[in-house]
Amino acid sequence: MAGPAHPEAMAPPTPGRTRAAPPQMPSTWWSAKRIRTYILFDATGIIYFLIAFLGIRLINALGAGPEAWDAAMESLKNPIYIAFHLLTLVSVIFVAVRFFRLFPKAQPPAMGPMKPPPGPIIHGMLYVVWFGITAFMTAVLAGVIL
Amino acid sequence: MVEKTIIITRFDPDRDEKPRKQEYTVPCEDSWKVLDAVNFIKDEIDATVSHRWSCRMAVCGSCGMMVNGEPKLTCKTALSDYDDRVDIEPLANFPIVRDLVVELDGFMHKFESVKPWIIRAKEQAEDKASLHPEKDTFGQSTEELGNFKQFSMCINCMLCYSACPVVANEPDFLGPAAIALGHRYNLDSRDEGAEERHDIFRGEGTVFSCSYANECSEVCPKNVDPAAAINQAKFGTVIDWAKGLVLPRGGTK
Amino acid sequence: MDVFRHDIVIVGGGGAGLRAAIEAAEKNPTASIALVSKVYPMRSHTVSAEGGAAAIARDDDNLELHGYDTVKGSDFLGDQDCIQYFVEQAPKELALLENWGCPFSRNEDGTVATRAFGGMTTKRTWYAADKIGFHMLHALFQHSMRFKNIVRYDEYFVSKLLVEDGACRGVAALDIRTGEYSTILGRAVILTTGGGGKIFPFTTNGTIKTGDGMALAYRAGVPLKDMEFVQYHPTGLPGTGILITEATRGEGGYLRNSEGDRFLVEYDYGVGNKAELGPRDMISRAIVQEIEAGRGLSGAYGDHVLLDLTHLGEDKINSRLPFVRELANVYIGVDPVTTPIPVRPVVHYMMGGVDTDIHGATEMPGLYAAGETACVSINGANRLGSNSLTECLVFGAAAANHAMDYANGSAEGNEASLRAQAEEEAGRVENLRGRKKGGERISEIRRELNLAMEAGFGVYREQASMQAGVGATAQLRGRVADLRLEDESKVFNTELITALELMNMVEVAEVLAVSALHRKESRGAHTCKDFPTRNDEEYLYHTIARHDPAGPRLGKKDVVLGKWVPEERKY
Repeated sequence: MAGPAHPEAMAPPTPGRTRAAPPQMPSTWWSAKRIRTYILFDATGIIYFLIAFLGIRLINALGAGPEAWDAAMESLKNPIYIAFHLLTLVSVIFVAVRFFRLFPKAQPPAMGPMKPPPGPIIHGMLYVVWFGITAFMTAVLAGVIL
Repeated sequence: MVEKTIIITRFDPDRDEKPRKQEYTVPCEDSWKVLDAVNFIKDEIDATVSHRWSCRMAVCGSCGMMVNGEPKLTCKTALSDYDDRVDIEPLANFPIVRDLVVELDGFMHKFESVKPWIIRAKEQAEDKASLHPEKDTFGQSTEELGNFKQFSMCINCMLCYSACPVVANEPDFLGPAAIALGHRYNLDSRDEGAEERHDIFRGEGTVFSCSYANECSEVCPKNVDPAAAINQAKFGTVIDWAKGLVLPRGGTK
Repeated sequence: MDVFRHDIVIVGGGGAGLRAAIEAAEKNPTASIALVSKVYPMRSHTVSAEGGAAAIARDDDNLELHGYDTVKGSDFLGDQDCIQYFVEQAPKELALLENWGCPFSRNEDGTVATRAFGGMTTKRTWYAADKIGFHMLHALFQHSMRFKNIVRYDEYFVSKLLVEDGACRGVAALDIRTGEYSTILGRAVILTTGGGGKIFPFTTNGTIKTGDGMALAYRAGVPLKDMEFVQYHPTGLPGTGILITEATRGEGGYLRNSEGDRFLVEYDYGVGNKAELGPRDMISRAIVQEIEAGRGLSGAYGDHVLLDLTHLGEDKINSRLPFVRELANVYIGVDPVTTPIPVRPVVHYMMGGVDTDIHGATEMPGLYAAGETACVSINGANRLGSNSLTECLVFGAAAANHAMDYANGSAEGNEASLRAQAEEEAGRVENLRGRKKGGERISEIRRELNLAMEAGFGVYREQASMQAGVGATAQLRGRVADLRLEDESKVFNTELITALELMNMVEVAEVLAVSALHRKESRGAHTCKDFPTRNDEEYLYHTIARHDPAGPRLGKKDVVLGKWVPEERKY
């Protein structure tokens, strides 16, 4: 979105009968809330991209033996990593909340005889599942179960 | 009565290389909509300003414009909601024909491409059996009507195309209003063309180009919620595609 | 200049035009049909009809009743053969519209629901909440897209009918986008351009309703009929004139005066036991009488009465009248769930129009008309609410049917001579574009026209003010020829289009004024204070107005009577 609209956005399949000016975004597009939200949403992709590298590094460390793993764990205590993880957490929550909010209305009104439950219930169920999985993972990582 | 500066985008292909801005000082009445200010300029100050409008009651869909950077139906938008400088531009993402008038041909092409009409498996003459014997109408419950009613409320004002970030980047994207229209017919209990339209929706630049930014639904003046339609259509498209893998064509009904 | 050849040319893309296009395309799949409209079809003013479309649907209803209601509503000026045909075709046409996807509201059993309407003795108005016009227009437009033999000319303004040997053989149309003229030839031409409510300042009509088709036919020598009858809808929003549908009363709403009384109970115009469901002419008169008796309310935009829906409850308003709620909220800041809506009578519809027969044919071979542009006449001196949408369908289809038969049997016109006519027209309009030497601006003349029409041709009319209106419109016809235009650009020159529309409006207004002054009686919507009663002995005929350089030349045409003998119109 870092510029004017695509010069052929909404262009007719055959050229117009008079010269038309190419599509524009409004001059204030960068300050519009709706566009900011969209850019932020898409920008979270960069964070997932970066954290994938971190994941690969950790797997490598795991394969390289206990010393490498301990060193990797030690390096994660660096404040930059902590900040990055916090940012990731915020991004995930932002995307999840946004997605959860939009998810119920994307359900088809009916699938054969079956109807989806009311929007708020779907919405609630998403959170229940999310928190449930998080709790389960936490329990596994903390060694409480398995 | 309050004076406002109305800034209008001007573009005359015979004279202007590219769009420019022109300022007008307009004495505005409190009850005015944004459209009233543009009409006042046209009638009393500068007759060369070109814009489209007709019904002035938010149903014909002619008068969509960008007002301070937001796509708005100008006959429905109170002028008093804005400060003393109001920037009125043609709808974003559309080629500009002149001043506030944008090119609709691209939109009309997309609109037609979703086959926005009732498709029946049988020809009309053979189809008589599906009709109510005395009244010649299809039966439809209020619930069946409710399934698609919201998506049939689109006035084709095209604000959603101006708000859509995907349209801005991807010129061939079918876009919110057209997909919502196709989906409206898919959900209509009288229609049997969902498979055909889902085939269209599997094409490039259709439903799966949508990143669910939801901006179309935010700006829709009629609460059609095209974002919901597109994302429901994704589901139907996948199901029909999957059915097509398992069953031979025509056997899916 | 481009020359396009088609079998049928339809001018106007609203309800009647689209229905005609579909009928022609279905009837002859090899024929080529041009649909020429000055706006994209979905912008046509059919879109803003709210209440519903009439056709018998219930077991307690029959053709006889619908016919009688319509004849009586017309104050016996409607042609009874046409009304008979209309009520017979109506259910079939609305059923087709349902088959084509119009989302009609439904009964419990899944059949199409009907609601009560003014002047109708039973529930026969099919509806889609309160947006029937919108849904009908979009259903027709979308359905029309499946016919590849319908060629659309969107945003082309037709300014002249091309006539050769007394037969209409095409149109000269200005492509608004390029500013260039085209010759669009057809073996038959159908006018479906709607009415001309914009000659009045306070109207429900959109800005595109400038009487174009009427003026086109009139200038080509085809007479206009019954132009004095202008319908005032009882309930428009003060200030904007935005329509608040009669369905509000059909669903149980009340009109109240400043004392809070349901004053219509006193007047007793209602059908059955519902005082509010009288015909529009009578209800409008009652409102004016209340206001004149000092029982109106005054507001920023003049005197008004109140439309009370508060007793209907939020659920019913949301399910049956959501658009009314939206309009009241946005345009007058009132939520009808809690507060009555201020309303006053507003110009809504022209009963008159291009004189046609029962098939939509005018007296000029090859020229047809349907919808509000035409005067068949089923509406006579007063149209019943919800008959007009059905009229668009019934007579749009009829006109297309007969136009197609006519086209099949007629030879093509002489292209060179028709093209020469179009070139002459292009030259005339070219001279008008950016004509700075002229005297007055469009907005000045339009304002004067509006004021003259409002002063002379209101709900109640008087000889003296009508006489003044005749003088004013005749004088404006001279002045409109000397407009001053600023915009020299060819591309999307809306000023030029507005100027051409204004010329049409002045022409139509003059016919209206002269016809009204001529009718010295009170019938339907034409209520003359000097002659307060209906006079069947002298005036039971249609007024015919022919073009003449000196001003409209009036004539008479017999009303087709039938089984319903004129009687006192009492509800």
